[in-house]
Amino acid sequence: MTYLFIIIYAISLIYFALSERVKKFVRLLFMQGLILFGMVFFSLKEIEIYEFIFVLTETILIKSIVVPWFLERVRKHNNLKRIHEPTVPVFYSVILVVLSLIISFIISDNILDSKFHTQFFTVSFASIIYGLYFIIIHKNIFSHVVGYLIVENGIFMLSLSVGNTMPMMVNLAILLDLLMGLLVFGIFINRVGNTFQTDDVNQLTILKDL
Amino acid sequence: MYILFIVLSVGISLSIYLFKKEIVTSILSIVFLASLVFTSSYAYFNINKTDNIFFKYDSLGVLLSIVLSILSITTFYFSRNYLKKFENNPRNVSIYYSALIMLITAILTIYFSNNIAILWASIEITSLFVSSLVFFERSKVALEATWKYLFVSSIGIALAFAGILLLSIYASNDGVTDLSFDTLITVVGNIDTLWLKISILLIIAGFSVKLSVFPLYAVSVDAKTIAPSPINALLSTVLVNAGFVAIFRTFTVVAHTEILSWTQNVFYIVGLFSMFIASIQLLRVKRLKRAFAFSTMEHMSIVLIGLAVGGIGYYAVILHIILHSFVKAGLFYQIYQIHSIFKSKWIENFSGYFKINTLAGITLLVGFISVTAIPPSGLFVSEFLIFKALFLGQKYFIAIVALIFLTIIMYILGKIFLTVLFGNVPDEIQTSKPNYLENFIQLSFFCLVMYLGINQPSFFIDLINNAISILN
Repeated sequence: MTYLFIIIYAISLIYFALSERVKKFVRLLFMQGLILFGMVFFSLKEIEIYEFIFVLTETILIKSIVVPWFLERVRKHNNLKRIHEPTVPVFYSVILVVLSLIISFIISDNILDSKFHTQFFTVSFASIIYGLYFIIIHKNIFSHVVGYLIVENGIFMLSLSVGNTMPMMVNLAILLDLLMGLLVFGIFINRVGNTFQTDDVNQLTILKDL
Repeated sequence: MYILFIVLSVGISLSIYLFKKEIVTSILSIVFLASLVFTSSYAYFNINKTDNIFFKYDSLGVLLSIVLSILSITTFYFSRNYLKKFENNPRNVSIYYSALIMLITAILTIYFSNNIAILWASIEITSLFVSSLVFFERSKVALEATWKYLFVSSIGIALAFAGILLLSIYASNDGVTDLSFDTLITVVGNIDTLWLKISILLIIAGFSVKLSVFPLYAVSVDAKTIAPSPINALLSTVLVNAGFVAIFRTFTVVAHTEILSWTQNVFYIVGLFSMFIASIQLLRVKRLKRAFAFSTMEHMSIVLIGLAVGGIGYYAVILHIILHSFVKAGLFYQIYQIHSIFKSKWIENFSGYFKINTLAGITLLVGFISVTAIPPSGLFVSEFLIFKALFLGQKYFIAIVALIFLTIIMYILGKIFLTVLFGNVPDEIQTSKPNYLENFIQLSFFCLVMYLGINQPSFFIDLINNAISILN
């Protein structure tokens, strides 16, 4: 069952590469939150009640409800509809995401360490790489936040791949990261949108000394 | 004990934010500073003891906490003067103080944390409060700097987290994960070297935002260009030291593994690259604060090179970051005076500072001598020791390249300082009365650096030797 979720997650990355609408990004993030919950739920062998509550809060509540809801609000506030600055054509992005998946599958296949749960590593590595790529190719700061959240999801899976049981501290750290990042980013996207009347990073150049 | 300090600080910070009254802010700030000094003294008298399972008062932490306490007191004093023009906006002033208190608390937590997860989380918390302090003036340019700082440091910290995950892969035993540095040092030998190398690269890349070195230095320089001058005195000193602590502790974990020489090479590359970037960028700077931000980058490159070379370099590195903290803080306090006299932030508008305000001119000149490591500056001693270690270790190429970059940086800084100090006084500027106390504080920092360079007290030497004993 875990494998099914891993495959669906990989597909969701390809969907990210195909989408151009901001609304779709938010929906995909919601989907990824649910997939992550499924992944954790089926991989934890003996789940304790407090662990279950924690995982539920982290994946369902934060990643699937709070984050997309917040992003949707920011999207509406800034009236964002479509990311119309494809610096790289969609076709190349799709090829890249597929390539990154293949490369991470090959790397995982070569990991001999028994402490590693290679099945999670495959998608987590691809997700981190793709998230960073997503940030680089988009010029809109809203998409930058989406890219950051894809990296975060990748790191969440990386934490699953290196530990059998999830250390509470590590989880708390991820939760803190997500909450802080999102709240502050949300506030700042609105401010940047209001102050600069744009979400294009090319307009944010007054800091340079030239 | 340390948890109590954190609870008290959070309480003080929240109260300042909620009450927004000047008298409450003043009283609570004094209480906070007293508790900070008390905690640092407590740590000094309980050295090498653990507090809770998450904190340890080791020598490095104690040394840097003393620096933090001193600089926090002066920063609160200079902040009072800086905030006078914002008196009619109590909300922003209260945000300033409560964010400042939380920033100092998070930095102290980084110094004392004995657990890599706590260290990481505290570094993340510093990003949040640095952002709110950089955004203090609410200008368009401040917004841009804040946005970039938040975004890039979050990405960096996420990468560092991935590195920490890989580093802690063997730290879990029977379902119990102990992420303390002592445990990591004992289990690190089990990790495959490839994973260890990837982990080190991710951690260095991630924490480079705080240490202000290559690759993620840019946002840190931008933040220092925009932040209020008293805050800059902390960002360029104690926060950079926090980045150093993170890199140093990671280095101690791998110091006795087979990837030590590989890690040293990474430090050399990062150090030289950062120095190269600083020298190129300094040629183009037009704002005084930006020039000092790149000077910080240059000093941290020297620190990384010293950490890589080892031997006497370890001692010199710790000495260097402590002395650099006092010099840079003094200079940033002085910048505030320059900005208020010339009512500008651009170097092209500054000239004849000596004639306008002789005492401040002398202070700036002494600051210039200190920051460029010209004798009798204490930084000369630490840099001399690092280069001595490089030559003794037969790293001639690195030493010569570093010396060339240092010469370029010294020339550019000299040009900037001489432009500010001499030349004709601009027409609209009038000579001003010097603020004796402010200049006295700055001069005493520079004198302290000279004194510590020439004659280090025995307790100071013991603390440094204790801090680096884990590496030898």
